[in-house]
Order: sequence, then C-alpha cells, then structure tokens
Amino acid sequence: MTILSTKNLRKKYGTGENEVHALDGVDLEVSKGEFVAVVGTSGSGKSTLLHMLGGLDRPTAGTVTVDGKDIFTLKDEALTIFRRRKIGFVFQNYNLVPVLNVYENIVLPVQLDGNEPDKKYIDSIIDMLGLSAKLSNLPNNLSGGQQQRVAIARALAAKPAIILADEPTGNLDSRTSQDVLSLLKVSSQKFSQTIVMITHNEELAQLADRIIRIEDGRIVGGN
Amino acid sequence: MKVANRKCIYRLSMAHMKSVRNRNIITILAIVLTTVLFTALFTAGISLKEGFEQSNFRQAGGYNHAVLKNITQKQFDELKEDSLIREYGDRLFVGMPSKEPFNKSHVEVNYYDENSAKWSFCTPIEGRLPTEGTNEAATDTAVLKLLGVEPVIGNSFTMTFDVDGTETTETFTLSGYWEYDIAVVANNVVIPRSRAEEIFEKLGTKGNNGMCTYHTMNLMFDSASGIQDNLREILERHGYQDEKPGADNYIATGVNWGYVSTQMGENMDPGMVLALMAAVLLIIFTGYLIINNIFRIAVSNDVRFYGLLKTIGTTGRQIKRIILLQAAALSTIGIPMGAVAGYLLGTAIVRVTAANMDGIDKVISVNPLIFLGASLFSLITVFLSCGKPRRMAAKISPIEALRYTEGTQSRKKERKGRTGASIPKMAWANLGRNKSKTLISVLSMSLAVVILDMTHVFTGGFDMDKYLRDVTQDFLLAEASYFQVSQKWMNKEGGKEAAVSEETIARIMQQEGITGGRAYGTISDIEQLVTAERAREEYGSWRKGGLSGEDLDFMVDHILEHVGDQRAMDTRLYGMEDFLIDKLEVIDGDLGKLKEGGNYVAAVYDTDDFHNLYEDWHWAKVGDQVTLRYVDTYEYYNPKTGEVYPENASLGNLLWAQRAKEYREEKYEVVAIVLMPNTLTYRFYGDDEFVMNADTFKEHTGTDKVLYYAFDCVDEQIESMEQYLKEYTEGEGSFYDYESKMTRAKEFYELKNMFLFVGTAVSLVVGLIGVLNFLNAILTGIMTRKKEFAVLQSVGMTGKQLNFMLITEGMLFAGSAIMVTLMVNLVMGPVIGQALEGMFWFFTYRINIMPILVVLPFFLLLGVVVPLASYRYVAKRSVVERLREAE
Repeated sequence: MTILSTKNLRKKYGTGENEVHALDGVDLEVSKGEFVAVVGTSGSGKSTLLHMLGGLDRPTAGTVTVDGKDIFTLKDEALTIFRRRKIGFVFQNYNLVPVLNVYENIVLPVQLDGNEPDKKYIDSIIDMLGLSAKLSNLPNNLSGGQQQRVAIARALAAKPAIILADEPTGNLDSRTSQDVLSLLKVSSQKFSQTIVMITHNEELAQLADRIIRIEDGRIVGGN
Repeated sequence: MKVANRKCIYRLSMAHMKSVRNRNIITILAIVLTTVLFTALFTAGISLKEGFEQSNFRQAGGYNHAVLKNITQKQFDELKEDSLIREYGDRLFVGMPSKEPFNKSHVEVNYYDENSAKWSFCTPIEGRLPTEGTNEAATDTAVLKLLGVEPVIGNSFTMTFDVDGTETTETFTLSGYWEYDIAVVANNVVIPRSRAEEIFEKLGTKGNNGMCTYHTMNLMFDSASGIQDNLREILERHGYQDEKPGADNYIATGVNWGYVSTQMGENMDPGMVLALMAAVLLIIFTGYLIINNIFRIAVSNDVRFYGLLKTIGTTGRQIKRIILLQAAALSTIGIPMGAVAGYLLGTAIVRVTAANMDGIDKVISVNPLIFLGASLFSLITVFLSCGKPRRMAAKISPIEALRYTEGTQSRKKERKGRTGASIPKMAWANLGRNKSKTLISVLSMSLAVVILDMTHVFTGGFDMDKYLRDVTQDFLLAEASYFQVSQKWMNKEGGKEAAVSEETIARIMQQEGITGGRAYGTISDIEQLVTAERAREEYGSWRKGGLSGEDLDFMVDHILEHVGDQRAMDTRLYGMEDFLIDKLEVIDGDLGKLKEGGNYVAAVYDTDDFHNLYEDWHWAKVGDQVTLRYVDTYEYYNPKTGEVYPENASLGNLLWAQRAKEYREEKYEVVAIVLMPNTLTYRFYGDDEFVMNADTFKEHTGTDKVLYYAFDCVDEQIESMEQYLKEYTEGEGSFYDYESKMTRAKEFYELKNMFLFVGTAVSLVVGLIGVLNFLNAILTGIMTRKKEFAVLQSVGMTGKQLNFMLITEGMLFAGSAIMVTLMVNLVMGPVIGQALEGMFWFFTYRINIMPILVVLPFFLLLGVVVPLASYRYVAKRSVVERLREAE
C-alpha cells in the first residue's frame, strides 16, 4: 500500500542565469512501513525533496500525496496541522527547543495539537530510547546522541504515519550513529511507521529497505 | 609588542557596524534620547540659575560685580588702573525729582558712562545714550509717561529735581529710551557728563576736589567668585580700607548681592546640589538601562562573529576596541541630534517654570556649558553602558562561540515537571532565557511609568485648601509697593506713607454685595518696652540677624535705650476694623474687648509653613501689660562715649544709637494672642507686632493711613469685581494693586501645571526610552529565534500558535512592567509622599494609580503589536530558508 508518492515534482530557485532546478521531475512511491534511504552528494536536491515530502516548502510543479491526500491543496495553516498529525521530523542538528526539558520537547507536537499525550505510548518510546533518567534535563545538558534520541522520540510522539529524517546522524560519531539508527529502525517497525532518511553515508544507507539515489534533482537509480 | 593595526581594527569595526543597520538606528535613538534628557536638564538648570541672577541684578539695579562709592576724580583715576579690574564704569549721581509727577516713583538723574549704563539696564531700545556736550538725555518709558512726553527721539522734556538740596529745572532732548522694567527699583534719566558738571557749576554744589561731586565706580572682575576679596585687595594696594568709616583713607564699597546670593546657591545649598545630582544619576541610570541593554544584546547576537575573529587571531583588547569605536561613531551621530532636541525641550521647560516662579526671570541660556556638559555626560553614559558588554565580548572563547545560541549558556540543568509544554509556559520560559535583558527592559519601561505616576501623585497632592489657607478674603487692595517683595510698604527712605485713599474705598463699597474692612498701618516710630532678657532673645534669633557674643552684648547693653530695667524696641502696629479682627485666629484670650476699643491689644504670633506655632515668636501672653511709646523725636549719641550728636549731623559714617526725646506713652492690656493670615500682615518680618482697634489706633498714633482694604464679595459679583479691580489698577488707580482669592487659585493651578508639564515631559522621554528598550528586546528576541521558530513550525506549531506565544511573551513583558511599577508605587509612594509633605506645605499625599491604569492598555497594545509586527517580518522567509540559515 502506497503511503507517500510524488508525481513530476519540480522545484526551481531563482530566475534567469541564476535559475537552479533543485528538483527536476521526481516520481517516487513509498509503501507503508518501508524504510527508504535517499542518498546523493551535497547539492543533489535530496534535502529539497525531503522538505517537499514534509510540506515545509511548496513545489514549483507536481504533487505530493500523503496517505491519499494531495498535501499542497491545503492552505499553510491546515498544512501545518496535517504535518503535525502525519509527519515526524528528525534533523541533523536535533533542533530541540532549549527552554523545554526532555519530556516537554517530546510531547510538544501532541500538545500543540491540543491533545493529551498517550501516556503508555510515550512511556514506551522513552523506555525504548533509554531516556527515562533524563526527562527533566534541559537539552544543552545532553550529549549529541542523547539529543538525537530525544528528537526521534519527539518525531514518534504524535504517532505519525511517516518519519522524515534529514542526516539524523550527521553530527554523531560512527558508533553512536549506528545505535541511533538502529533505534529509529526498531521503533518504526514496532509502531509500523514509514521512514524516509537522507544520508550521504553509504554504510548507513545499507540499513534501509531501499536506497534511492538522487543527482541534479533527478532520481538516478535505486534498488 | 606594538603593532600598527589600529587602521585595520577601525575598518573592521566600521564594516561590522554597517552590517547591522536596524540596530544602529535603535542605538542612535537611545543615545539621542539620553542626550535629550541631559541637555534639557542642563538648559533648564543653567537658564533658571541665570534667570535667578538676572532677576536679582534687576532688583539690585545692575549686574556689575561691585562698586566703590563716593570717590574723588583723583581716586577714580588712581584705582581704575588696578590689574584686578577687568572693566570699570563711571557714575555721577546728579539728583532726584520728588515733586509731582514723580512723588510716587523713585527716579534718579545720573551721568553714566557706557559701561555703567549697560550694567544698569539703561540700554536704549530706540535711539542711543546722550552725547557729550549736548543737552541730550535718555530715560525709560515710565518716566516719559509720567512727564506726558511721547517716546519719540528728539522730543524735549523738562523736569525739576533736587541736587544736594538745591532745586533746579532742566530741559533735555530725548536721545534714546528703553522699556520700563517693573523689577528695577529706580528709574533713570541718563545725562552726559558735560551736562552734569554744568549743573554742579551753575548750582555751586561742586565736591571738595574742585571737579564735581563724588564718583561711583562700577567694577567688573574676571569672575564672580571672590568679589569681596578682590575689593579688599584693590583698596589695600592703594592704601585704602572699607572697614573704619570716618577715617581719611575710608572708601565705602558694595558687593552686588545678586552675585552673593547665587554664589551661595552654588556653594551652600546642599538640597539643590543633591537634587541636581539625583537628576543626573537618574538620567545616567535611564540611559544605562537602554544603551547597556542594546550593547549586551548586540554582543550576544554577534558572539559567532567575535568567536570567528578570535579564531583568526584577534585579541580581546582589539575586540573591546571594535565595540568602543562603534559606540563612539554612533555617539557622534546621536549626541548632536539629542542636544538640539534637548535644548528645545529645555527651553520649553524654562518658559513654563520661569513664568511660575517669583524672582526668576525668563532667560534662555546659550551657555556653551549646556552642550559641553550634556555631551560629556551622554558620552560617559554610553561608555559606562558598553563596559560590561565589551568585557563579555573580549572573553568569548572561539569554541563556545560557535555553539552559542541565546539562552543556552544558562547554568540551569533541569526543569522539573511532566505536565508537558503549554504555550504560555513556553512564553514564560522564553522570557527567562536572557534574564538580565528581560529585567532591564522591564525596569526601563516601569521607570517611565513610575516617574509619570509620581508626577501625578505630586501634583495631585497639591492641596488647594492648604494653599489658600492664608487667603481669608476675596479681595485685598493696597498701594502697589505693599505687594512687592523687594520694596517694603512705606519704606522709610522715601518717607512717604503709601495709603489707600478713602475715595477709592468708597468707590469699591459702592459696588454690590461688599463687606470689608480697613487695616491701618504706620511707619511712624513706635517702641515697646521689653525686658533685657527678651531683647537679648530676639536679637539672638534669625528674625533680627542672629547676633551673638560681643555684638549681642553691645546691642542689648549699649545700643538699645534703657528704660529702667527694660529696653525700648521697635514694634509695629495694626489698627483693624471688625471685619479683619474676625479673620484673626485666636490662640488664647478673647477679641471682644479689641472690637469695643480702648487700651487693649492682641499680640501677633506666627507659625511655620506647616502651621505649627512658634511659641516664642512674641513675648506677650494674655493678661500681660505692654507699654508703647509713640516717639516724635529722637536724639542720637555715640554709644561708646555717650557724646550726643548735634541735631542735623550726618550719621552716615558714624557709630550711633538713638533714644526717644519727645514721646507719649500708653499702657495696654494684652487680651488675646492671635495668628494673622500671611496675606494680612505688613509682609515683612522683624519687629514684634500688636493689633488694636482701628479707632484706638487712629487716636493714639495720630495717623490714619490705610495699609490695605480687604473685602469679601457675594459670589455672583466676584468675576465682575475682579474685572473692575483689574481695569482700575491698570488705569486710573495705577498706584494700587490688588490680590484676589481667584488670582491666588489661578497661581495655584499654574504652579500645578508647571510641575505636571515638566514631569510629563520627562516621563515622555523616559517612556520613549522604555518603549525603545522593549522594542529592541522583543525584536532581537524574535530575530535570534528565527530558526527556532522554523523548527517549531516543522514539528507542527501553526502560525497562529506561534503568534499566540509571541503575544503572550509581549504581554508578560508589559504586565511585569506594570506590576513592578505598582509595587514601587505602593512601597515608595508613602515614603516619598511623606518627604514631599515635609518639603511643600501645601502638599497632601494621596495614593494615585490612575496613570498606571491609563498606561496599562497602551503597554498591552505594545505587547501585542510589536511581536506580531516583528514576526510578520520574520515570516517573510520560508520555514526551509530559516532552517537552513547559519548552518
């Protein structure tokens, strides 16, 4: 079952001589529960693709369909609400809110939606990611690996259908990278979530079910 | 090691500064506002001081530092060359007219050289001073009016005046005139020296050196300090002295008291100095709050930049220098702008305050000290303010700098709680990110409201009832000099009793609904007999100059006339009609007998401004007997030798005492001791006073001069009576002046409005500073969090929720400012109120939070609008752009 698909997705920045085609007609389908790694060199357009998939940026042409919904038909406000229910983001530099403690960071997307967090579910994420002892800590007192685990917990908290991860291990050493990624994989399997991860690390990409290669805004291959 | 890197640092500093345009604008505005405050303070302060001096000079008759009196031409020529004298002026007193139409004015005919004329306010606004060898003269518009001569150059006028006791009539051609100035005591007719000598020649009144009568030399020294010492030194150098009258080498001197009093004001009034220092400190503090905050925020925003500089080898000192150069550059732009605006504000303050203060002329000073001082203090404030931020920037470690974001350097490790994050909670936490920034911005905003509120507490506390406590009658009419602080009623020099005529009183009584009464007064000599002990007590008190030691012994034992064990001392009497007797406040005794007439008196006591009785103001108690002497002639004698001076001897340079020669004595019983409202007194202090029945007064003193006529008027008539008196005293009855409860009330409101204006102006500027600070805090708070907002949006915060968070932050800000203000007001209010009650007798403290409530919605509005507007600006760039920024 396809949960995420794009049709002829294009994005260009600038005009005239400065015109850059960041995405140049991307067609992609991801099935539910799949773990997809997108690999490419810097400037290949992989981050732009991820932002489009998450509805953070609007394409110049083409569509993105999430769970059967063409997301760019939604207005900004509605798109944000759709995003917080369906999509969880994990960033390279964690992007935790510095004034909130670990627990508050994790449940933020749920509460932004006006819901009470599902305590059992949240506890199970926290347990799994090994954050139980750190719940009251503020982000700047955590190591990089711990911060990224919090970010993953936050991405999972709202039970999204899709998790979009942008170089989630870019700032971590290789040992920690392996750990974090395994956790991401395990948790998504446990809660049957779909993962699209950007990386330039071939070794890490091997952990995914499928690898998509992107170059100059086009998909050039995959397995 | 010294390296020539200044240029490089300068270029770096300026290039960096240019990259932050908005911040520069805010910083310049802050410097402008701070300078505005300083300049306004200095403009007002220096202008009022100069106005006070000028007012004194006008009363003193001139602004030269000192005079040497009654010197011969030879002495004049000898002394004028002294090196201590910067400039000198010559004056020859010629004479004084006393007959109609000059019987009520003090007019002098003088020769003034150019300097003396200038220093004595005799500078023609039309025409010029008289030329030597002509029959020209210059005078003021009042003299011309009395003469009935149109102020047209070339008109001739004739006047009769006494020269050393000989009368002469002279005709002059008007060469120039100036506006009559009510504060200058004497009017002048200035004639050329040639004419003066011609008159002396003609009348044979030449002085003993064969040239003419004595000269007066007006002097200007290099500065107004040490005038007395300069005088002494000049005299000493030429073998003269000014301490022993009568000696051959005696020269009388005079120091312009206008300078004396301002010198005292400068050197001795600690209250003024303290108030000024407090104002300066307050402005420095206000300026510090904002400028420091701006620089502090700027440094934390630029941490990466400084970190980068450090990484490539810039030293801490060089970074400090970069910031200093920027501060200096911004000051060069901001300070001149602030100085101009502040000068305008300052002059406005002077206009309002000078109009409401007795004894201060409206002088707008252009003293360069204003601008120098204000600029200096602004610079000091700027440099003080960027001191800490400079040290912060210099200490930044390059590694930390790269990881730095606002709020993350907090030492706090944990936050308890598992309730999760609500938006208000996040807003609150955001305020705590940079605590000092938040605190300073809040303080800066509250400061303005505190000042505004205190202004209103102060002016709102002006108590009209207290202010009008001494005005017990609707109107009071008297001869004009009665109301003038600088001229006592019926001053003895003129020897004229300036009374209200019965005809005038009759006119007023013709109007409807009048009830009033006369108070009779006299300048004839009346003495009371008191114990030596009481005489000692009085001469030792401030009322009579506070003598002590030998001076006091000599006064009591030798100068005062002995009558048995008792001493004869001057006293002043009032003869009052029932209307006025009823206005007296009885402290003890009963006024019944006073109304009936006969040998009864009431002794007049006094209170301080707060209506506390001075118990020993007067010696008399109810039931006491007092003997009054109505003296017709005195004889004068030397109190040391006992030698009696001949009747017509000039006492000027002699040591003398007096005793009554021909007199009548009456004995009275003191039936009451009373307080007299200030508006009903002679309006000067000194001698013990008694009130008696009007008829008794007339009978015993043999005089019937009306000191004033006081009356009440039915309410409907008050406006028209005011109008009537105004017209009457401006026209036909111009020798009179009047005072009404209404004008007093107006005075009260004007005084109140003056404080209101100054306070509001100051709180407006301080308020602008506060708002600017708030603006800067919110703005930078949002700018530095651009990326964080993008993150929040990517995890699902909608624009609405984000706006709600920012508005909550703004409201919390504004709300805290109001809370702080309220607290300060509640805590400080009563303390300050009590202090003010002690300083202003017409002030009653009342709590007043109205201004705070009025400002509240404005603050809340700011709290909504500023974050919304800044976020709109931020939101122009997409979430993705912001997420990618600064990676």
